[in-house]
Amino acid sequence: MEFWKKLQAIDRRWVYLVIWLVVMIPLIFPFKIKPVASPPVQSLFTYIDTLPENKGVIISVDYTPDSQAELQPMLVALLRHAFVIHRPVGVLAMALQGLGIGEDALRQVTAEINSHARTSADSVLNGRDYVYWGWTTPPITVMLGMGQRITKVFPVDYYGQKTESLPVMKRMKNYDDAGILVSVAASSFPLYWINLAQTQFGIHLGAGITAVSAADFYPYVNSGQFSGMLAGMKGAAEYEELLEQSMVKRGMDWKLRRKGTEAMSSQAAAHLAIIAFIIIGNIAFFATRRRKS
Amino acid sequence: MTLSHDPWVWIAAILTLAIFSFLYRENPFYRIAEHLYVGLANGYAITFYWHRILMPYLIDPVGHNPNILTKIWLVSIAIIGALYFTRFIPKISWLVRIPIAILLGYGCGASIPRALDAEIIQQVRATIVTRSHLAHWDTALWAILILVGVIATISYFFFSAERKGVLKPISYVGIVFIMVGFGASFGYTVMARISLFIGRLQFLLGDWLGLIK
Repeated sequence: MEFWKKLQAIDRRWVYLVIWLVVMIPLIFPFKIKPVASPPVQSLFTYIDTLPENKGVIISVDYTPDSQAELQPMLVALLRHAFVIHRPVGVLAMALQGLGIGEDALRQVTAEINSHARTSADSVLNGRDYVYWGWTTPPITVMLGMGQRITKVFPVDYYGQKTESLPVMKRMKNYDDAGILVSVAASSFPLYWINLAQTQFGIHLGAGITAVSAADFYPYVNSGQFSGMLAGMKGAAEYEELLEQSMVKRGMDWKLRRKGTEAMSSQAAAHLAIIAFIIIGNIAFFATRRRKS
Repeated sequence: MTLSHDPWVWIAAILTLAIFSFLYRENPFYRIAEHLYVGLANGYAITFYWHRILMPYLIDPVGHNPNILTKIWLVSIAIIGALYFTRFIPKISWLVRIPIAILLGYGCGASIPRALDAEIIQQVRATIVTRSHLAHWDTALWAILILVGVIATISYFFFSAERKGVLKPISYVGIVFIMVGFGASFGYTVMARISLFIGRLQFLLGDWLGLIK
């Protein structure tokens, strides 16, 4: 009785300490977990993988550094995929503080691809194969304006180059040239993309979202408004797995770093610990209640 | 173990630990880190607005554009925008309604018709069980489950009639679906929070301490 009572009144800092250890130890000594793609992840991957050659990929960085841990692996995986299949890529940021994050991901992925490139055609070049439009405001004008003419919304790119002069923009005039737009978001931006860009212009959409908002966005996967969805770090790990399999098949066994997958053993250990806490907490609650009655 | 030699990594690591110190209890290190974050984020936003919005879209065109009508148009828009600041002057604070009204009018006009289509019509359409759903047992099961879930949940929120008769069992089924929804949301929230913590630990153990690759 005393034990259960004490357990119910335990200082929450002990719980934090346990979680800290449970998350940290598997990061140092990881155990292998092979992510299995869930249907929304598989459908987004397949959709992008089978895009027609003349269609580009637009990725919107709709998150800020506080959710970088969950969403950056998705952004990196999506960029890798788009470059591996040689589609023109346009990246923009709807969140102002997402600008640097977008640039970081682009720099990382282009360096990876270019370090393995043997010819100029294999490499990815700014202005030729991709463009980083950057950020402008207000979102409603951006989302509607890009459906008409992207260069009008972004006269200059993030680096100050005139977008009209970039060769890639000849293949990315507006939404008609984009096979899909993926919103990687920590807010309700994917919903705005549906409301404004998809309803008006019919563009196909994908979403990479934080796990917190996953339950809110599943209805849009079910209705077909999203061609697929990556939910949280687990979604990123599943996408990384699919991409690696696909790259190996294409003869690109580059063993690129997979931050989402690396985190999965810690994630699994933490989930087990939290399940254990919930079970122990409930046993303690019912044990003390029975004694009282 | 190879410690980072990058001073920025050290600053980020110390600030991360300062934020985590809140888990023990409220303290000045946490406060410093928190205020620094808010200040930096605002400073970044203000300078960016100045250089990427006000300069190219207002100040440069007003200064260099020879067309007087364009100048008048831009200055008028800027004045309307500046009316937001009248909130700080109680006597004329009512003027703030003008830019708010313009923004609301534009925002509602542009979003409401599209939101109706995207969030109501398309979602209702997705609950309709079609013949193609019935081709396989699993798709049929999910389609029926979604239909039942939507009807039962809406019934739970139907407050115009007393919850008795047929409405009573249906709304109870609605509660079950709502609870499943809450459970899913909670599970995903746990995953999200742990992910954020993992991200910081990857940084501390990897980029800072060099304990992991």
